[in-house]
Amino acid sequence: MFIYPFVWMLSASLAPESELATLTVIPSEITFENYQVLLDKIPIGRALLNSVIVASSVTLGVLVFGSMIGYALSRLEFRGRDTIFYIILFTMTLPFHITLIPNYILMVKFGWVDTYAALIIPYMINAFAIIMFRQYFKSIPQDLIDAAKIDGCGELRIIFQILWPNSIPALVTIGIITFMASWNEVLWPLIVIRDEQLMTMPQLVTLFAVGGRAESQLGVKLASAVLLALPILVAYMFFQKYFIQSMASSGLKE
Amino acid sequence: MNIRHKTILPWLLVSPYIIHLLVFVAFPILFSLVLTFNKWNIISPMEYIGLSNYSRILHDRQFWKAVGNTLIFLSIHIPLQIIVAISLAEILNQKIKLRPFFRGAFFLPVIVSGVVVSILWQQLLGFDTGIFNRMLTSIGLGRIGWLIDPNWAMPSIAIMATWKNVGLYIVLFLVGLQTVPKAYYEAADIEGATKWQKFWHITLPMINPTIFMVVILSTIGGFSLFIEPYVMTGGGPLNSTLSAVLYIYKQAFFYYHMGYSATLGIFFAMIILFVIIIQKKFIEK
Amino acid sequence: MCIKLILLSLFLSGICVFASSCSKNQKNDGELLFWSSNNLPEIEFAQDMIETWNASNSPHINFQPVPEGQSSEEMILAAVVAKTTPDIYANMRQGDVEFYAESHVLIPLDTLDGFLEFMYARCDSSVMDEIRSADGHTYQVPWKINPIIVLYNQDYYDELGVVDYPRTYSAYLSLAEKFKKDMDGDGYVDRWFGNTESNVLWYQRFFNFIPLYYAASGGSPLIENNKAAFNNEAAVKVFTFLQTLYKNQYFPIERLAARRDPFLYGDIATKWTGPWDVPFIQKFKPDLNFNAHPMPVPDDYIGVSHTYADPKSIVIFKYSSNPQKAWDFLQQFLSIENDFKFFSLSKQFPRRKDLLTDSIFVNYLKRNPQLAPFAKQAKYTHGISDTPYMKEILALISQEYEACVVYGKKEPRQAIQDAAQAVDLLYLNLSQ
Repeated sequence: MFIYPFVWMLSASLAPESELATLTVIPSEITFENYQVLLDKIPIGRALLNSVIVASSVTLGVLVFGSMIGYALSRLEFRGRDTIFYIILFTMTLPFHITLIPNYILMVKFGWVDTYAALIIPYMINAFAIIMFRQYFKSIPQDLIDAAKIDGCGELRIIFQILWPNSIPALVTIGIITFMASWNEVLWPLIVIRDEQLMTMPQLVTLFAVGGRAESQLGVKLASAVLLALPILVAYMFFQKYFIQSMASSGLKE
Repeated sequence: MNIRHKTILPWLLVSPYIIHLLVFVAFPILFSLVLTFNKWNIISPMEYIGLSNYSRILHDRQFWKAVGNTLIFLSIHIPLQIIVAISLAEILNQKIKLRPFFRGAFFLPVIVSGVVVSILWQQLLGFDTGIFNRMLTSIGLGRIGWLIDPNWAMPSIAIMATWKNVGLYIVLFLVGLQTVPKAYYEAADIEGATKWQKFWHITLPMINPTIFMVVILSTIGGFSLFIEPYVMTGGGPLNSTLSAVLYIYKQAFFYYHMGYSATLGIFFAMIILFVIIIQKKFIEK
Repeated sequence: MCIKLILLSLFLSGICVFASSCSKNQKNDGELLFWSSNNLPEIEFAQDMIETWNASNSPHINFQPVPEGQSSEEMILAAVVAKTTPDIYANMRQGDVEFYAESHVLIPLDTLDGFLEFMYARCDSSVMDEIRSADGHTYQVPWKINPIIVLYNQDYYDELGVVDYPRTYSAYLSLAEKFKKDMDGDGYVDRWFGNTESNVLWYQRFFNFIPLYYAASGGSPLIENNKAAFNNEAAVKVFTFLQTLYKNQYFPIERLAARRDPFLYGDIATKWTGPWDVPFIQKFKPDLNFNAHPMPVPDDYIGVSHTYADPKSIVIFKYSSNPQKAWDFLQQFLSIENDFKFFSLSKQFPRRKDLLTDSIFVNYLKRNPQLAPFAKQAKYTHGISDTPYMKEILALISQEYEACVVYGKKEPRQAIQDAAQAVDLLYLNLSQ
């Protein structure tokens, strides 16, 4: 029930167009024609590269900033700390629709339209990640930090040399969630990127499948969907355990 | 020196967040508020029109229909999600054989992009050639107009959304189920409780926090329903799958009513907050 | 410590700057950008033209198909706001030009050297009058038209014993009744007489309601003097006809996207479409025996069947660094040789006055009988009234269309009346 649709999609993308209407599982002959057509028509390799660049930069940013802010909120005493914490919680409940158009106008004013910056920078700070880091750092024994301070470590060294090695599960969890969310984002790229050379994979595939260039060839459309799903599926096969754990803990710590 | 250092440093560490908050959250919200009093097609200059965007909402039947649709979606999607997730989690919690495999399989749709899922399900739900209907006719049942019957279209999308997300909630419930102490069940066994009684009186209260979280998460997710109707139905048939976000999007990017669209956005955000507060009250009780 | 923090933030802002700068490589100084539609023969043609130009001219021109999803409007609008439009956009619906012209983002082409001379040599003066904007300037090159008529499967028509094509609604409907069938015996019709997109999105009406309305009314406009002009018998008849097609299951309700192409694979006998479908069919199903005939008309209608022209224009955006060069390129792009090349590649009709008289086109049409009906229709086609609100108007009509035609929830007369009322109300609100 959960796998069958994917199997059908894969075999349909490999089947000749004429068999699609009756196809249940296995096509009578396997053809890679659909993929060939697809590769000829859209720069999917470049899109893959873009997606990797964007998703990795976003993930890196979220980890670095998230841990810095999470550290400040959990381990440092300063006035306004709780206020900031509540503001963060509040922003998490705001729906994104309100900010969509003003944010686009911002991108225009910054001159970031058709640049990676538009895809990366607004996503480098993530309220969710901050909260998770804050929770996690709270569970790390204060002794560890005190010891480092006596050794003369600055705060940044504490974060990246002491806390990070002791927070692998949190890093993996936040990393995977952020990477996945960034990888699958469609609406924002659709609005800020128009240069085909800079499009991410989900954007390019959406444009291809929904716009006219698939020439209503169903097999080609499905092939594009398969290619879009493939990288994350491969990652999933290798890191299945982490994926599931991450998603589970992400929900629990809210 | 050291004292000053101590007061500035936390702020330095937090400063990226503050900047981000001001630029990407506070400014857009203020901007939206300004927009609600203006008429703006995004290219020409804004034109102040006072409160007429607000008064227009009250008479905008399509918007209320869209809000209603979103609520219909939630009222199908959330219970379905919880029932399916709890039952599958219960099953997985008992039979050990192949458990990682099933867990992995249920989780598959969660990680795949919504675009893939929408393209795929459009084919599965096809009336004439879709696999579901071919199965129904092959076992002698009538076809269902999954996406073309106004009464079915939203439920179909709700079913699809459940399929997409349920894997996550199964895992959440599995974690919840494992926190229930075995001793409770053993005690119940001694008193001769049935399976159902055990579930109802022990399991359910123990996983209540998880249920609450699932409800909140699916509510937030459900309110932002957009890409599925955008790709699959365009809001039809008879506006039955027009979600609020899709309508806001259409107002902005089809008809260029940026001011009105912003007003709808803010109005809708209020509705979301309201619903979440009610849910919180209701479930915590 | 503080220094390290500063270094770190410098490093991160460095990434940001890198990210924002390393990408605008697409458009170097002075180079021009050309967007075409997503239609494959058009892409091929535009690429060919640009290569030729780049071989011996400067500035260079870059090419990309319009990055559109459901429709190109969102993308164009977003590009205009960001001032990152292409220099030349070669697929703007004629009716959309007015919105952008009024917003002052298009170059008034008549101010460019050689524009008017060139255009009057290419087009009828009636066409030039038609595309002139309210302020007296011309913001578009009327590039091509695609008359929407009925494409039919010749083998199926032979099977049905059709001698004269079904000119009227009742002829069309009686063929449809004979043709629809349940081929695999599962109790559901799976061979229909035709198919047209039932989706409620506004632009789908260009391929069903509007051509039929022009056919039934001899080409009356939809909008006149900021009022709905379609509240008449012709529109009611069109809705009634369409409603019958769905009610009797002559047409399937399902969206086209949910299936493979039904005309190519013989699931339907007729399709309402433009000549761009001809190379598409020839490519994917070379042995399909097909031809075309005019849109059906009401039984009591006398005269020629008119239709929608689907006119597309070329515009130059005002953010262009060199509009005059862009126009120079367009002159080459629009030469008679290249118009012919475009025509033979895409089968779309260049909007030239000599299309039906110049031997180069006439001979080609003779060799391609499937195009002849489209060519014959070309004289009796109409665009759409120029109003910046066309999308909303069509969306309002689409609401009634879906309720009445597709789902039979409303009487045609009531539906047309409600649509007209809604359109009038829209204008009333806008004028306030």
